[in-house]
Amino acid sequence: MAHAEKGVKELFDEVINQGLCTGCGACITGCPYIVAHGGRIVVLDKCTGAEGDCYKHCPRTSFDMDGVNRAVFGTVYSDGAIGRVLDIFMARAKDPEIKKRGQDGGTVTSLLALALQEGLVEVVACTRMDEDKAPHGYLARSRRELLRCAGSSYEVGFGLEAYRSLPKESTEKLAIVGTGCQIEAVGKMKQCSPKNSPDPQNIRFTLGLFCGWALSPRTFHPYLKTMCQLSQVCKFEIPHTPHYSFDFHFENQDISSVSLDEIKPYINPGCHYCWDLTAEFSDISIGSAGSAFPGWNTVLVRSPKGADLIALANRKNIIEIQALPEKRIKHLKSVALKRKRAAVKKITEKTGSEKELLYLGGLSESIAHKFLAQ
Amino acid sequence: MANIAVNRPGSTVLLMGNEAVARGALEAGVGVAAAYPGSPTSEVIPALAEVAAEMNIYVEWSSNEKVATEVAAGASFAGIRSLGVMKQNGANVAADFIVNLNMTGIGSAGMVIFISDDPGGGTSNNEQDSRTIAKWIDNPLMEPSSAQEAKEMIKWAFEVSEAVNLLTFVRGVGRISYTRSNVVLGELPGKAKPRPFFPEIWDMNNPGKSKFTSGPFPVFHKPLHEKLEKAREIFESSSFNQYMGPEKPDLLIITCGASTSYCIEGVDELKMNERVGILKLGTTWPLPEKLVARHLSSTRKVLFVEEMDPFVERSVMELAAGLLPATANLTFFGARSGHLTPYNELSTDIVINALADILGITYQPRDSAYEDLAEEGAKLVPNRPINMCPGCPHRATYWALKNAIQLDGRNGFLCGDIGCYSMGFAGPGFFQSRTMHAMGSGTGVASGLGKLGRFGFDQPVLAMCGDSTFYHAVMPALVNGVYNNSNFTLLIVDNSATAMTGFQPHPGTGQLATGEPAAIVDMEAVCRAMGASVEICDPFDLKKTTETLLRKMQEDGGPKVVIMRHMCQLVKAKRKIPPAYKIHVDGSKCLADNCGCNRLCTRLFACPGLMVDNETGKAAIDEALCVGCGLCSDICPVHAIVKEEANR
Repeated sequence: MAHAEKGVKELFDEVINQGLCTGCGACITGCPYIVAHGGRIVVLDKCTGAEGDCYKHCPRTSFDMDGVNRAVFGTVYSDGAIGRVLDIFMARAKDPEIKKRGQDGGTVTSLLALALQEGLVEVVACTRMDEDKAPHGYLARSRRELLRCAGSSYEVGFGLEAYRSLPKESTEKLAIVGTGCQIEAVGKMKQCSPKNSPDPQNIRFTLGLFCGWALSPRTFHPYLKTMCQLSQVCKFEIPHTPHYSFDFHFENQDISSVSLDEIKPYINPGCHYCWDLTAEFSDISIGSAGSAFPGWNTVLVRSPKGADLIALANRKNIIEIQALPEKRIKHLKSVALKRKRAAVKKITEKTGSEKELLYLGGLSESIAHKFLAQ
Repeated sequence: MANIAVNRPGSTVLLMGNEAVARGALEAGVGVAAAYPGSPTSEVIPALAEVAAEMNIYVEWSSNEKVATEVAAGASFAGIRSLGVMKQNGANVAADFIVNLNMTGIGSAGMVIFISDDPGGGTSNNEQDSRTIAKWIDNPLMEPSSAQEAKEMIKWAFEVSEAVNLLTFVRGVGRISYTRSNVVLGELPGKAKPRPFFPEIWDMNNPGKSKFTSGPFPVFHKPLHEKLEKAREIFESSSFNQYMGPEKPDLLIITCGASTSYCIEGVDELKMNERVGILKLGTTWPLPEKLVARHLSSTRKVLFVEEMDPFVERSVMELAAGLLPATANLTFFGARSGHLTPYNELSTDIVINALADILGITYQPRDSAYEDLAEEGAKLVPNRPINMCPGCPHRATYWALKNAIQLDGRNGFLCGDIGCYSMGFAGPGFFQSRTMHAMGSGTGVASGLGKLGRFGFDQPVLAMCGDSTFYHAVMPALVNGVYNNSNFTLLIVDNSATAMTGFQPHPGTGQLATGEPAAIVDMEAVCRAMGASVEICDPFDLKKTTETLLRKMQEDGGPKVVIMRHMCQLVKAKRKIPPAYKIHVDGSKCLADNCGCNRLCTRLFACPGLMVDNETGKAAIDEALCVGCGLCSDICPVHAIVKEEANR
């Protein structure tokens, strides 16, 4: 691989101390030296290993777009906005319990519950909020456990620690749910297997979540604590436009709201460098940003495996599907491209050169050009 | 340990220097002995404690050296001969009392303090020359050159002490204290001791006669100097001052203490016995000036051989200046001339090199290839960096603390202290300890650092101390922290013993120096009563310990005490407590150098019970050393180290 002979020192020099870390959690848990704590990646002691998976699988060290794409889809990377798409539509859960718990349409929870129920997977590596509403990586092995993971905290959660916490010898069939950066890390793992985690072949499919940015647990969580009694919150929500707010839904059905402008300073700095709104290396990507109607999800099917799962969900009649209007697709693409351009702008501001694109340095010239174009 | 109360006068026994000191005190009829443990003197009190009942003496481990000296002084005041024992650092602790004791003088019975210094610093964190204390407080000082002489000198020191009514120091060094050699025993007195009495009361009209109340009056200070002059007179004819050599030597060596042997051997080796004389001083303060002046007049060149400070060198040169012009043609060699160093231990080689240079002799001690061969040979010896024992609870504490400091992320600052855990400044404590000075000073420094917030100091402050150190000198510092509301976390690493000096009991152990049961001074209750919050952790519960320390670091308010309670593994072994676990390594799981481990157990954790199997390259257990604590199993990232409940 391009970045042999680099380990935790370089991970800190090139990513974490540069403010590029997205908090995906790929570097932690499988390693006794690196842990996440209080929203930071912490090194507990000095690892002298010249070459480390921590560096290798980080989505913000050099990212071989074609290599990862080949490992995931068998082809080189081609698209410039929302990645490879076999099918695109909108969907929502039919199950009323899932509908109630889900962030928008409950499609993610529905598909995963189905996969567990049908034995397609035995465990789902996802993210779950604790009592304090801080997200952590979590391994769900039942519908009940899965339901407890539904809903978004909008905070960086180091979710891949769940996968990394499985013993290397584990043969459990696995689904991974995550945002773009997390799915990118999984892509890198598929390209080059981690030494100390289960074989990525065990990962039967990945569900990507649309993500424009996440909030920093270091700054946002303390703010959150001052805003409300966290144990009473049942849901956080950024409602669809024209709303421009961050809402707290309470157990007693109250809702309180703050302007997004108040929230934005708490965005995790590393997220500004992210190019991947729609989790382009997943089997299915699901979200609402930029496209969906309230109570619905936009679904992008990217791989045959993803298509099979959707087909099964249809057969089992667990989700409701409608075509996504062309106008919405166009809008999604424009939002996704905007994200890429904003990321590249941030990167070039940092490096001072359009030739130095940090982790995106491996992009082909034609694609890089698209990202650079204003 | 030899029984030092054998009553066979004239017989020869093998004794450690410290045992010879104890025997000397017995022969002198000592009634009370008190000390705080400190290498190289730690064996004196146990030797006396063992025969305490047999010899009808009172022996104690005191909470610190100042108290030990006060206990001994009390006995002297009441007419009982008493002995205080301390290492060089202890002399500083005791000094505050001693500088006032010299004003009042002692009681009717002699009082001797045996101090052993540590040239080379093998068991100390300084290399202080404690002889200076005798000079600045004007008390007599003697230096034995062998175990036999240590025994005789202690005995005689009681007589001198009584003759001049002053506390008298006998100063050894590690080489005297720890060397075992033949010692000819003397008579032991009967068990009967004088009945303690206090004859004097304060008499305003006759303050010189009134005892035991010091004051800044010339009336106290003038007699002190008269006493010192009297001691000088006694020393002029002391048989502990000896001269060996020709009547008019080309070179006169003036030496004392352990260095005497180096001088004798050096002169012999060079076959310079006809040209070089050795004046060995047993009494080094006050200087026997007439004796020294006589010898100065017999030569033109003088070489001083003494370890550490040029103490005798300066006294003699001062004297020589006073004797000018008679001494004008003398040339002096020693630390000042650079022939010796005022630091580190001396050796016969160093003395020979000095002699050869001064006398203009070429000396080839060894084959020219020797140095190269020695260097080659040294490579065959495995590198053995300092380490804590297998299963040491301090390693667990430091592991949890290191992780807590990293998780906290504000560069927590640990002030260290004196004990096995002093090794925390290096690998065994994962380089966590940032300061180390005197007993108790970690807490004092932390108390100061905890008040620097107003200047922008935002690192969490921590201090560490051992259980024995807590009673010795930490308590006042903790009181200070509570009183001044200083925010720091004090870790008391309570391993149930004064482990570093040899497991002596202390006020928290429930045991006296003589082995009898004692009241336990409950450190937890003491800390609470002082007003500090207290939590207790077993450091082997790494998760809870880490969480507790992290939480404490983030708490506001005054001092927070966390007692890390786990018995020293060596104490467990002494008490025959069986190991908790049987440990083995599953080689198929061990990642060794690979990513995800990078030899966490043998490279970083580094318990001596862990090793690398040379054949497989995997971690392995050294069964000869492993004590079955199980901690390595808890830190192994892939559970390759397996602990099984041991069959008890």
